[in-house]
Amino acid sequence: MELDETGDTNASAGRRSAGPMEFERLALPYLGDVARFARSLTRDASRADDLVQETFLQALRGWHTFRPGADIKPWLMSICHHAFLYITKRDARYVEAPEDDPELDSLATARAHNVAYNSGIGAIIDQMDLGPALDRAMGALAEHFRGVVVLVDVEGQSYEDAAAILGIAVGTVRSRLFRARRLLQDMLFEYARDAGFETARAPIASASARTSRRTSTEPLPAKGREDAT
Amino acid sequence: MSSSELPDAAPTAIDCLTAVRRLWDYLDGRLSVAAHDEVEAHLAVCAKCPPHFTFAERMKRSLAERTGTEISSDDATRLRDRVRGALARFALEGDSEE
Repeated sequence: MELDETGDTNASAGRRSAGPMEFERLALPYLGDVARFARSLTRDASRADDLVQETFLQALRGWHTFRPGADIKPWLMSICHHAFLYITKRDARYVEAPEDDPELDSLATARAHNVAYNSGIGAIIDQMDLGPALDRAMGALAEHFRGVVVLVDVEGQSYEDAAAILGIAVGTVRSRLFRARRLLQDMLFEYARDAGFETARAPIASASARTSRRTSTEPLPAKGREDAT
Repeated sequence: MSSSELPDAAPTAIDCLTAVRRLWDYLDGRLSVAAHDEVEAHLAVCAKCPPHFTFAERMKRSLAERTGTEISSDDATRLRDRVRGALARFALEGDSEE
């Protein structure tokens, strides 16, 4: 990272003393954006608030490294995401396998859809309220996948902006996003299978189907990817 | 991938495999005009592929509607005060350390 402080020590010293107030004035307006991002990442209001505080503290700590005039929001979001990965102690340096071909995930997405419908849960999927199911699936999604889905699909950011925030290449955003969506879809179909299985066993208890766990006796073909569309 | 880059040429016919490989790029609007038109042309005549695209689009739309994590103004105020307090404490401690 190139810092202005290496070239201009006077300006840097001046900025450090005036730092905290200037930081508050420029950074706090983005508190709402960071808070929303933190909630989407953590799925928990209390953990999100802790993460927001940690983000702003880290940002203030690193304020002297911030290039004046640069865009503060993506910088804050980036700190937030790094802090989130650090706090959750998950593989913060997750690296995609070099042989990953994002288009294969597109293909697999369509095939999984095909398999699900052929296995007879099409009607359940069609009637499923995807909102709550996606909330649950997002909670189960690995952290390094969650960030990219939140940024691109939930927040509507471009691949380029998401790449800047996550500190990864645009191509990596694409491959991670496609994989994440495929995983989300797999979970939705799994929930649909659970719901179908519950309904078949005990129609009266269908209300509990949403929270049921998958049983070990899978009644339907598992995710075979061999059936071409 | 496609050889039909001529502006007014009819889209090249693509098969199901090629179409579904472009599924997410198509829905994200990140295909070239030619590649996009090829997918559209395929979807118009294919009986198998459109449901996959429709479902993927439904999922994408549902995710976009997940912005239900809006924070109430009370929560926002409380959080702002909390962060301000933490920043002020940090600034004081930071100064005393230097």
